This record gives sequence, C-alpha cells and structure tokens, in this order.
Amino acid sequence: MRIDPDRCIRCGECVALCPMNAIRLVPRDPASGRAAHAAIDRDECVECGVCFRSRVCPEEAIGEEELAWPRILRKAFSDPVFTHPGTDIPGRGTEEMKTNDVTGRFRPGFIGIGLEFGRPGIGTRLREAEAAIRRLLPLGVVLEPNNPLTQLIADPATGALKPEVRDEKVLSAIVEAIVPEEAFGRILEEVRAIAAEADTVISVGVIGKAGADGRVPAAEAMRRAGLTPSGNGKVNVGLGRPLYPF
Amino acid sequence: MSHTLHRCGAPEDLKKDFVVFSMSAKTVNARGSGEKMKRFFEILHRFPATNFGDVKTGSRYNADWQTIHDRFRDQSVAHYVFTDRDTVAQALRELREADLGLSVIVSGDFTEIEAICREVGLPVHTVQFSGGVLGRTDRLPPGPVLAITTMCGHGLVSARLVEKLAREVKRGKKEASAAAAELARPCMCGVFNVERAERLLREIAARRET
Repeated sequence: MRIDPDRCIRCGECVALCPMNAIRLVPRDPASGRAAHAAIDRDECVECGVCFRSRVCPEEAIGEEELAWPRILRKAFSDPVFTHPGTDIPGRGTEEMKTNDVTGRFRPGFIGIGLEFGRPGIGTRLREAEAAIRRLLPLGVVLEPNNPLTQLIADPATGALKPEVRDEKVLSAIVEAIVPEEAFGRILEEVRAIAAEADTVISVGVIGKAGADGRVPAAEAMRRAGLTPSGNGKVNVGLGRPLYPF
Repeated sequence: MSHTLHRCGAPEDLKKDFVVFSMSAKTVNARGSGEKMKRFFEILHRFPATNFGDVKTGSRYNADWQTIHDRFRDQSVAHYVFTDRDTVAQALRELREADLGLSVIVSGDFTEIEAICREVGLPVHTVQFSGGVLGRTDRLPPGPVLAITTMCGHGLVSARLVEKLAREVKRGKKEASAAAAELARPCMCGVFNVERAERLLREIAARRET
C-alpha cells in the first residue's frame, strides 16, 4: 500500500483504520519543502488492503502497489479478499474442520492443532512461526500440506522456511497439524515453551471429531493438558454430502 | 481459516453471538456448489440477522443482499450472524430440510449449539475449540476493545479505530449504532456482530475517562 504524499491533505482519516498501526502523520520536511502528509511504514504494513478498500481518503491518495515476491506473501496471508494460489480459498488457512463431514480430515483418535501466530491484532514475522515448526517437527508432528505456511518450507527435515520470506510481516500465519490424541499433552508443553519465547501472540485452536454419543475427546485432552476449552466453539453439523464414512 | 473462532468477551454476551456459514470441499463437492450456496443464502435471508456476507463481495455494510447473492460461485463461503439461539435453531431446521449437501458450520456458545443440535436432530459432527491466547498477551488491547476486534477473525478491525469511535460516542459526536456500522465495514466476510459491537461501544464509552 502507498499514500501519494502530493495528494494527501493530512486529514488523518486513514490513520486509525490500520490494524497494524502502520499509518502515521509525517510533519513538513523543511529540507525538501515537502508538506506534512500521512505515510505508510512499509516494514509494518501487511498489505491487508483495509485502508484502500475503506475509500476513506477524500483525495484518493491511497493506492495499491504491484507486489513482487516475497512481499506478495504479506497480501496472501493478510488480505482475505486475495485467494491464496496454494489453497484456492481466501485467507491464510485451509478448510480444516469446516468440511470434515465430507473430507474425513480429522478422524477419531487424532486432534487438529492450529497455532495462529499474530492473532489477535498484533501481527507476526513469518520467522516466529518458523521457530515453532522447527521445534514441533522433531516431536513427530505432521503439518497440514495445504496450509500456505507449510508451502513455504524449504527443508522438510528441519522446517526451515525459504530464507527470503522469514522477515515478511503478516496479520497472522497458522501452523496447522494433526497429532495422535495421546501425543497432545506433550505437544502442548512444547507449544507453551514456544509461546514463552515468542514476541507476538498465538491463538490456539483445537479440533476433534465428536463421537456418536456426543463426547468430544479433543476437549477432554485439552483439560488433561491444562488447557481450558473456550465456552464458544465452532461446530460442523454434518450436513455435507457425500458423508465421509468414519 | 478459523475466522469465526477465538471471539473474546463475557460469557453472557457471547450467548447472543452466533455465526452460521456454509462451505464446499474443494476435493469433494465444490463443483456446482455456487447455486447451492445461493439457496443457502436465500434460506437464511428469511431470518432476522445482524450481518451477512461473503468475503469476495463484502458484508451487508459493503454491498446489498442481491449483489452478494448473485456473485456466489463454486467455493464461495456464505455467512449469516444471528443474535439469538432460537433463530439459529429454526434456521438449522430449514437447512436440514433443504438438504443442500454443503457443509454447515455454527460458531457460538458451545452448550447452546449442542442443545440446538439435539432439538433439531443434527449431529455435533466435528468441533473446534479455542484454547485461548498465549505469548505476548501484554501487547493486547483492553478486554472490551478486544471483544470487538476479535469479531473479525481475519483481524481487519483495528483496535485504534474502536478506541477512536468509542471517544466519538462518548462525546456525543456519533451514535453508537453508526459507530458499530463503521466498524463492520473492514470485515469483508460479514461475520462481525454489529448489535454486539454497539453494546460494547456503549460500555467502553461509559467507562472511558476522557
């Protein structure tokens, strides 16, 4: 994103809109004579498009740029209007449990873990998620292959990302994995250790197939591991067809 | 993509916050799903909702219902936000009857959703819970602000905008309803609960010192 300093009238209407607080009012530069204007900190901007889509600028000074690799990743992870070519769905994640009634992705005996780095509202450099991947792979964690973050891994043995993408900032990036139910407690211990060293926030999501009796073993595994399931959750109500034969 | 999970707030307040949405699976039933998604959207249109939308076109605060409806394609994801559990139960009953064959997901108070499923005769098939936020939670905004910003799971509603609008409500420069509608605009999926945002804005404005 960019703001044309010559069109900007410094009204400040765009400043509060930015979820990353990357828009600032710059005073007049006495050296160049350039008038005061709003400016986007390109290092902090995640290319989410909020300022542009808002049409808040009375002078239409806010514009989108042609984004080259690896900066285009900022948009792919942060702007849900942009469909990621790896997943074919908008946003930084996958279908995960939303279509589990027809895909059978999450089966009894397994638990899905989603570690969303940067959410809520703080943002993250991709290297933060990389650090987590490097620590989780030795525990036998299998990453979701369709996740856009997984697709940036250069070395599947170590979890190292392509070097040029590590410092890209995004609104959030999700480490998605499926683990055996009995391994959940050990993996959560590692997640806590990862979080203690992180410079951002991590929203933890846990997915599980419910039993025919309505029991949700994933919720029980969370409690055993000392993680309280939130009162509000997301439920797939099994209306997809053809139903996966669990 | 867990854009309707991780909503923060007081349990009683979250009991008035349900998102019902539908999705096809790319590898299973995406082909031809656009027409079924239109039908899903038509069915839910019969119920009172605080918001609706599809990320590609926007929410009711970005586009009119017909435009959103007409732009559904295969692999579109349609959303509706309701504020009471009985409406959700009725909507699910109709969706069950319609048997569209698309996956339907409900986000909200889990105990209520379980009860609704029992009433309507639908299974709790697969569940996702939030395990909370770890790491640098010291960087997060105060609770009521976070309760508003987390209603856009893609993180497009800025905490600073919430604070600015709460100040304007406090000073009588803006109605809380207008401020809530302004906050809904960045959230393109239409999962932002505008009625809840209005209540929370009033709460923030009432507490704010300046």
